Amino acid sequence: MQLSQTQVAVLEAASADEARTVDALADATDLPPERVTGAVFALEEAGLVAVEEAVDETVALTEEGRTYAEATLPEVGLYETALEAGADETPAPMGQVIGRSGLEGPQVDIALSNYARKGYGSIDSGELTADPDADPTADGEVGALEALAGDTAADEHPVATLEVDADTLDQLERRGLLERRESTVRTAILTEAGVTELMAGIEAADTVGQVTPELLTSGEWRDADFAAYNVEADAEVVDGGGVHILRQTAERVKDVLVGMGFQEMAGPHADADFWINDCLFMPQDHPARTHWDRFALEHPTHIDELPAALVERVERAHREGVGPDGEGYNSPWDEDFARAIALRGHTTSLSARYLSGHQMGRLEPPQRYFSVEKVYRNDTLDPTHLLEFFQIEGWVMADSLSVRDLMGTFEEFYAQFGIHDIEFKPHYNPYTEPSFELFGTHPTTGELVEIGNSGIFREEMLEPLGVECDVMAWGLALERLLMLMYGFEDIRDIHGTLCDLELLRETEVTY
Amino acid sequence: MPTVEIDPDELRELTGKDDKGNEELKTDLFGLGLEYEGETEAGEFELEFAPDRLDRLSVEGVARSLRYQYGDARGIHVPSTNPADWTIEVGKSVPEDRPYVTGAVVRNVDLDDAALESLIQLQEKLHATMGRKRAKGAIGIHDLTMLKGAPGSEGTPTIRYVGVDPDGDRFVPLDSDRELTPAEVLEDHQTGRTYADLVSGYERYPAIYDDIGLFSFPPVINGRRTEVSTDSRDLFVEMTGTDQWTIDRMLAIVCYALSARGATIEDVTVEYPEETLRRPDFATKTKTVAHDRIETILGIDLAPEDVIDLAERSGLEAAIVDEARTDDVPGSEDAERNVAYEVTIPPYRVDVLHPLDVIDDLGRAYGFNDLEPRYPDVGTIGGRHERSRIENAVRTRLVGLGLQDLLNFHMISEVENFDRMGLAPDDDALGAGEPTTITEPYSEDYTSLRTWVLPSLLMVLENNTHRRYPQDLAEIGFTARVDDTENTGVDERRHVAAVLARHDAAYEDAKARLQAVAASFGATVETPPTAHPSFIDGRTAAVVIDGEAVGVIGEIHPEVLVEHDLEVPVAAFEFDLEALR
Repeated sequence: MQLSQTQVAVLEAASADEARTVDALADATDLPPERVTGAVFALEEAGLVAVEEAVDETVALTEEGRTYAEATLPEVGLYETALEAGADETPAPMGQVIGRSGLEGPQVDIALSNYARKGYGSIDSGELTADPDADPTADGEVGALEALAGDTAADEHPVATLEVDADTLDQLERRGLLERRESTVRTAILTEAGVTELMAGIEAADTVGQVTPELLTSGEWRDADFAAYNVEADAEVVDGGGVHILRQTAERVKDVLVGMGFQEMAGPHADADFWINDCLFMPQDHPARTHWDRFALEHPTHIDELPAALVERVERAHREGVGPDGEGYNSPWDEDFARAIALRGHTTSLSARYLSGHQMGRLEPPQRYFSVEKVYRNDTLDPTHLLEFFQIEGWVMADSLSVRDLMGTFEEFYAQFGIHDIEFKPHYNPYTEPSFELFGTHPTTGELVEIGNSGIFREEMLEPLGVECDVMAWGLALERLLMLMYGFEDIRDIHGTLCDLELLRETEVTY
Repeated sequence: MPTVEIDPDELRELTGKDDKGNEELKTDLFGLGLEYEGETEAGEFELEFAPDRLDRLSVEGVARSLRYQYGDARGIHVPSTNPADWTIEVGKSVPEDRPYVTGAVVRNVDLDDAALESLIQLQEKLHATMGRKRAKGAIGIHDLTMLKGAPGSEGTPTIRYVGVDPDGDRFVPLDSDRELTPAEVLEDHQTGRTYADLVSGYERYPAIYDDIGLFSFPPVINGRRTEVSTDSRDLFVEMTGTDQWTIDRMLAIVCYALSARGATIEDVTVEYPEETLRRPDFATKTKTVAHDRIETILGIDLAPEDVIDLAERSGLEAAIVDEARTDDVPGSEDAERNVAYEVTIPPYRVDVLHPLDVIDDLGRAYGFNDLEPRYPDVGTIGGRHERSRIENAVRTRLVGLGLQDLLNFHMISEVENFDRMGLAPDDDALGAGEPTTITEPYSEDYTSLRTWVLPSLLMVLENNTHRRYPQDLAEIGFTARVDDTENTGVDERRHVAAVLARHDAAYEDAKARLQAVAASFGATVETPPTAHPSFIDGRTAAVVIDGEAVGVIGEIHPEVLVEHDLEVPVAAFEFDLEALR
């Protein structure tokens, strides 16, 4: 029988008496474990070794678990405080005991929910009693934490050697105090046939492991016998680089818009309220401007300079309206307020800058512009809302535009992403009229999802900016589009420093 | 989004559509732009309202809109009012920042529990919206029978809107059984504390007196004496504020709602020192709307009689003002093009500022969803901004070098941005500088804009220690620093940053990739030794591209690594994207 040199080495290192792990065989043969694994499988196929797989289970404390191992479990802390407060004799007010225990935040709930469960006492109508016979030293979870804390160097403990019962481990895992990990360990042992073959003496085939430059230049390759690989074996995992999924989506949106004839805009993230709101005919006492969802800046506070003539025209539009029977807002208007700097809540500030002629010079119709840029909202952070997210801003300038043109543009845009049947709901925006909210149907859930906001810019916005034709515009949420396309449930896994590398590495690309 | 609660039974009663099922009602309401959000325990619809139609903040207003939608009402209805009996006299002592008052007497109201609840909701929603949380306008509704008018100049019953010493007269406010001075209300009464900021800057507080004494402390709280209950038959409605137009419109909305329940409105005389007003103000206004403009905005052809019909179905009235010119052939397109309408707007509409707002109404009445979308026949050339092109080119190169592209938040805490990196804002090092700080951060994790990108990358490494190594990450990202020479006071820049985290990461790994990126852009890169608090001394260099120092490269200092719970070395670089242009 002829075997490759690796296989011979592994066969010789294997024993008929005891199963040896791949790692042990690798040490003995001085070969990399991947190659040993390959050889072991080949030998198994040849019937020379028997391979067994075992799952090695280890447990390790989580950060929270370590904290409790160093101090004590919250319910034990509560019990000890309760004893000090004399709650073993007369019930003590719960709030007082908690206060003295030094427990804070979520720990209070943890302590309370485990207190009664573990028989440390009872809680009734806001009063706490302590069972004088309870014994924290007999608490299995306390013992388990101590056993797991051990010395810090070995924080992975094989379950097999751990003297803690399975229920306690389950309980600690449920409480998020420990984590289980599993790994597969393969062992090989010589079969009878293997022993026989070894006794008979095995010659290593003079096979060629690798194609080398020498082999090629010398011509020896003509006589070489190439060792067969186990071509089915798993290869080492290579992650390589990749473009962030949200960026991929943004890029695709940009491609589509460029294809539809749109030019890209850029401009400041921290900008004067003048560009963010006043130019958009948002009254200064509009709730969105005083509301807490705006990120005002503490430093710097005000923009240096605004174009004076534009400021004057914008103020007049706010106060008096535009056109022969236009009306303004019955709201105060103050230039100082307009100069205040905030993180932009929408990228319509860029549209205002471009339309004003202060960014690119005066623009003559027709024009199409877009941006896919960050906006900032001081809203609640949850699975579908971020404090900063990408807005797809776009506008079309032409001599005469109708709401039908607006609807048609959206239908074409979303069709590029496989989203059809866009619905339009008449809506109100201070700076567009008519205005529409856009809804799309979620491809999997069938749910109607709001995907953006749109309309035709009001004359009170355009006239001060010096625009004498129609402009239709929209702001869409990029993350919403991403969630519709990929079916993600928690946007925080993707965008931001809490992102999960595994998710970024493994998410399928779309095209 | 704000919501308003509407009892579907009341809606059926007020629209006279007893046979409408709940589902049918929801569809009709969606047509008005009122989206069904859910139901209260009592079975009331929670409807999301758009902040333009503040006349729909109560069931009465919603019912009115539905009646127009159903075609059961057309054109404009203005309630008739009876001549004034009562007078509000405005004293010179009124705080000068809150000088305006308006009012109406409403008789023969039939307030069952539902009607009273609706009135209270309308008052609250108006406070929250037009009233700007009572700062701009505040509503007080009183039981008229509990008021004793002082004999006024004409012998008519009069109440007086004046300024009062904060520690002066006492009254019993709502939800209290003690007599308090206005100053005590602000301290001791829950509602008083909520609205204290609105008046605490005034020398004299706003107050309303009748012949018996102080009965209302606007915009804070009413007195208990005049509290409205289901037994109240006649009401005195007063509103005070910082703008006459605003409170007059709020009053019109409230009067329309009460009138819809069969009440009679009676005028009130408002006597300012300089002028006398008759309120409520139910005057209509007009907008001139060109036929041509209606057609271009909606993108359809309409006959003038269609426009007039759509207007009436919107609760407006339209009359043709500009007839066709004499040389136009009647019925021809030219003739229609020159047509314009004078459209009359009812007094409860606060959202119509411009003819375009009328066109929106016409479009809604026509049914926007009945319009056929079309792609605009407008030719333009598309293209990317230069900055996004260069960002893309650099990103492609970095990804080709095996780096995972990241996208992190621009907001960061100063602890992450500086302290955990071992850096101080006044160091002479990349990342130092004055941070752009946020006045009221969402949380202590997001207090400023990041001045550099590496802190974000280290946070990602910190949050992914359980994931496979190597972790080679890069980001081309936004940074910001305070800079007085900029117009906005903020210098916003894009930085190119990369980290290589693996068991054998070393300086040369980072440098190899830096060289590769620079070479792709035809730039020369030098790395003279430098010091940076986030990096290991002796293994840190300045990134000098085409002769200009634009960044830093090196091995991250163990102190920073340990701070981020990392157990592998990290080699990193960061430099200004501009250097590659």
